[in-house]
Amino acid sequence: MNPLIALMIIVPIICALFLNLLHKKDRTIKAIAIVMAITLPLLPLLANYGLHYFGGYEPLYQNPALSKGLPSLITGTALNTFHPAITYSFQDAQKLFIFILGLVAFLAIIVSLFETRRPSGVYGFMMFMGVAAVSALILTDDIFNFYVFFEIAALATVGVVLVSQVKGNYETALKYMILGSIASPILLLGIALLLGVTGNVNITDIILSLKSGAVNPQNPVILMACGMIFFGWLYGSGLPPFHTIKSAIYSKALPHGAALLQAFSVFTFIALGIIILRIFSYLPLSQLVIIGVSLLAMIMGITMAILQTDLKRMIGFLAVGELGYIGLGLGLGTALGITAGLFQAVNEVVITAFLFIGFGTIYYQSGESDIRKLGGFMVKNPKVALLVLLSGFAMAGVPPLNAFQSKLMLIQASVQAGLPELGVIMILLSIVTFMTFMKAFHAVYMRPQPSDLEIKNDFIPKATILALSILLLVCLLLGLFPQMATNYLQGISTSLAGGVP
Amino acid sequence: MIMDTQLASLFTAGALIVIGIFASVFLDNLIKKVIGLAFIGDGANLFLIAMGYKPGGIVYIYLPGMARDWFAQNSAYPLPFAMVLTSIVIGASTMAVMLGIIMVLYKKHGSLRASKVLGE
Repeated sequence: MNPLIALMIIVPIICALFLNLLHKKDRTIKAIAIVMAITLPLLPLLANYGLHYFGGYEPLYQNPALSKGLPSLITGTALNTFHPAITYSFQDAQKLFIFILGLVAFLAIIVSLFETRRPSGVYGFMMFMGVAAVSALILTDDIFNFYVFFEIAALATVGVVLVSQVKGNYETALKYMILGSIASPILLLGIALLLGVTGNVNITDIILSLKSGAVNPQNPVILMACGMIFFGWLYGSGLPPFHTIKSAIYSKALPHGAALLQAFSVFTFIALGIIILRIFSYLPLSQLVIIGVSLLAMIMGITMAILQTDLKRMIGFLAVGELGYIGLGLGLGTALGITAGLFQAVNEVVITAFLFIGFGTIYYQSGESDIRKLGGFMVKNPKVALLVLLSGFAMAGVPPLNAFQSKLMLIQASVQAGLPELGVIMILLSIVTFMTFMKAFHAVYMRPQPSDLEIKNDFIPKATILALSILLLVCLLLGLFPQMATNYLQGISTSLAGGVP
Repeated sequence: MIMDTQLASLFTAGALIVIGIFASVFLDNLIKKVIGLAFIGDGANLFLIAMGYKPGGIVYIYLPGMARDWFAQNSAYPLPFAMVLTSIVIGASTMAVMLGIIMVLYKKHGSLRASKVLGE
């Protein structure tokens, strides 16, 4: 067992608790938050691959000393192979995902500390708690443990919005919680049905029960469980019909908070998406449904983004649209498609954080996010304008930036899978994404400054420019050397595709 | 008769969920909506408890003097009960946050009507 795997969850939780206790002690909060934020991307780099058992031990067949003397009812049946502990699995893909989550969290926390005059311990608590919950979602091999951290992530999301003090944040948070309080018990019911049929909540054990014939895979209860877990997936990641509330949540958070929240959504999307593929991919309609929902998310997200006048809402809808690309990759079901989808997920997290923090400088300077009331920022901050322009290029998939590589891989995968029309749709929607971004960029940076626009902060903190530069560097590196990410994803993709190249 | 207990629990769970969804979607009062949401959560918890029910089973505490085979065959499956405990804690936390938000919104809008407060 590797203790660093557990520390990926424990460190942010302890830090969150300390920050909450130290509320109003500004300097201490700042120092602790900076030090702990640095550890977030470092821990996955230092940890070795392996399994960690929380509150239990390895399967009995791996531990003869423990199984000695137990009745044959246990040692002579499938119970001998089951995982009695909450198992966390840390492999290549988890390393990449938690590193990217840690990096985005580090940058969002640093920006938040330098953009606010008095750092809030409660805000830090919510951010670190969310990071801990989403790291657990990525690592866990236990579907009930997934549900627990899914709920904690949802509460942390609401907390980030409540602390923001943006107008209308309480109303949006309550709507999100009401929808969540319907969707989460449905997810729990799906898990309960799986438990009822297979007698287990460990995902590896559930798959073993289905594949070994111990449970009839065509049992209608399993189909029902699949539908319920799928519904939880739609809510957790903000896919239609939850895309409107998800983008509203982003718009009511501060830009650095929104940068982190979108990372939560994307990693929840892929964590639960991978679970659905692992357990239910044998069901004939599962991949078709994933492709259908993803197409809907792409079309609705990106077309609704064009209509927005609020910068944060626009980026929120674009983020939903980009989720569709990831879903398409997963839905294709081939190794190339899944690699491309997961690579797109990594890219999307980085690019959307880049956009939120980049356009967030406008909100920081003017306190305004309505593009109709903005203008003239090119003259004020040409360097930041260039960085924001590059973030838009990255999202649209302009070479040599990272989304170009992942979108190209997605198009190749769709052609290889015999669905070239999906590639055409992806190209068309990338063009629309670019148009949407350029419309906002023109309004904010290239138009003359409106006479009634009040500038509250003349200078952008150096930490924000540093964060934007780091994100640009990551976009360039992944664009020029995509194998830096794809090498980490091939193992899981091959395993999920079940041998389909 | 014993089987009826489990079936009755499952039906009650289903009824709680349906009533909860109806209340949270169609009722205009925010407190009533939250009560409806509590019904949905309680329904899911009752469903889990019913799944773990073992007709004629014993509590899953191994006491001195019990034969291992007999205990393994007769004790109820503890996992669903442990899950329900966790789920109740999560539900209570979510409920507390929701009620806290409603208190703030009531002070702001002077009303508990969802159509006024949330603009539905």
